[in-house]
Amino acid sequence: MPDMKDSLRRTLWISRVTFLEAVRQRFFAFLLVLGAAMVLSSVSLRVFDFGHGELKFIADFGFGGMFFFGSVLAVVMTAQLFFSEIDNKTALTLLAKPLSRAEFLLGKFFGAWAVLGVFIVVLAGLQGIVLWAREQELIALAEQSGKIPATFSVVGLGQLVLMQWLRLGVVIAIVLAISALARTFLFAVVVGSLAVVAGQLQWIAQDAFLRPTDSPVYAAFLWVSTRLIPNLQQFNLADALVLGSSAVEDGALIAVGLSGLAYLVAYLTVGALIFRRREI
Amino acid sequence: MSSAISVRHLTKDFRIGMRGLKLRAVDDLSLEIPRGQVFGLLGPNGCGKSTTLKIVLGLVSATAGEISILGQPSATSAARRRTGFLPEAPYFHKFLTGRELVRYCAQLSGVASADLDAAVEDALGLAAMTEAASRPIGTYSKGMLQRIGFAQAVVHDPELVILDEPTAGVDPVGSAAIGRMIHAMRDKGKTIVLCSHLLGQVEQVCDRVAIMDRGKLVLEGAVDDVLARRDRHVMTIEAMTPASRAAAEAALEAHGAKVTSVTHPRRSLEDLFRELVTGSRDA
Repeated sequence: MPDMKDSLRRTLWISRVTFLEAVRQRFFAFLLVLGAAMVLSSVSLRVFDFGHGELKFIADFGFGGMFFFGSVLAVVMTAQLFFSEIDNKTALTLLAKPLSRAEFLLGKFFGAWAVLGVFIVVLAGLQGIVLWAREQELIALAEQSGKIPATFSVVGLGQLVLMQWLRLGVVIAIVLAISALARTFLFAVVVGSLAVVAGQLQWIAQDAFLRPTDSPVYAAFLWVSTRLIPNLQQFNLADALVLGSSAVEDGALIAVGLSGLAYLVAYLTVGALIFRRREI
Repeated sequence: MSSAISVRHLTKDFRIGMRGLKLRAVDDLSLEIPRGQVFGLLGPNGCGKSTTLKIVLGLVSATAGEISILGQPSATSAARRRTGFLPEAPYFHKFLTGRELVRYCAQLSGVASADLDAAVEDALGLAAMTEAASRPIGTYSKGMLQRIGFAQAVVHDPELVILDEPTAGVDPVGSAAIGRMIHAMRDKGKTIVLCSHLLGQVEQVCDRVAIMDRGKLVLEGAVDDVLARRDRHVMTIEAMTPASRAAAEAALEAHGAKVTSVTHPRRSLEDLFRELVTGSRDA
């Protein structure tokens, strides 16, 4: 047990320094400001709502920015945090200490995940304020016109934050596994980005897999793809959770959460196994 | 008592390129580094000395051979707990202060919470970095970076300290400071392994040296033994006149000795520099 406690401590110290390093980077501040600007501008751009409800447009626009910039941050920042320490030999100094490579990788993961947590909480909080303020205006108008606007759920917003945080955790774990294998920063970023795009489109492979096919090779390819690549779309429940556009059963949320956790653990394990053999 | 580092028949091959061509970086190296001494591992760039150190520390795997540190298999957590390492041209998180970095490294090295403050201050003191310890590392000069790197390497009071090119890019004043730190560690009974191609400095601080070339060990022994020319002698004479010189030469020749050269002793340029440039501008 003392070994386990020491191991957790070392992981925590690595993640603490990783977090500090990440939040002091201009890249983080830049994307946070960009995301916040997108959330705030959603109010003034609501005239282009394409016939959807106002709150839905504001939520789609703001959360869309959060999903996109969160993904960019998860891919680029994770690859950068991992590679910079190997490139500039800080990793040599740290790994020469009684610190296992798995602890180093986990420390990087938790540090990056904490940064993404801050990113999502700040933007979701801002989005929540924007939605709540507009909802109050719409309620006042509704009282005059008799129309009932969509309702904004704070609990749903909290659930969405957790889902998005988990989604970005899966992305970080994938990028760490790729980075453990990659020899250049560019490779890690490009392949990591492709993995995110594949994850967003994974449902297409799932659909195709469910359709009957005569080709066993094609069927095998789809079977492998649908299991190797997580379905990142399943975490995008903004409308349903925040505006209550459709009911989301607790069981479905738990299933999505468990699926996300399973992928997260699996990719971290793969990353740790690859990094263990890497010569630095 | 076991050696500080024992290397037996170590070989390391790197696979390079798409075709996996084999590059032998270390070739059947066997070496015993005794405890309590300053040991210099020398050689030209690419001779395999840094690779050897990385294998010793478990950062790179060996193709063949056995290594033990302080009687324990290398690359184990227990062995690393008793080892300190300063890599060549170290880079640390710029936003941390020197004190935060040393504390962070002490925590990772397993220093107990109760001993943490004292260990950090001792290491900073040994590296003459106490005054600058509250400044962000991003503001440090090259010499200060090496010294804070030295502090993080010794903060957990290791029995073995491995320094890879500790004075690369450092001015002579900074070099001399690092030399003093190495001697201070040796005086505490620690073993120091110094990897360098700055021969003058190695000669000044090391008790023993090993020279590697193309991955192989070409010489190993005590510095005095490998450098001394037992068939030659040097006398330093003050107030010598032509007459006294002729008399001395005649007397020596009468006993079968032969004077082959008479020159004025020279001090090294480094000694002259250190004499003129007093103190470090780093502090």
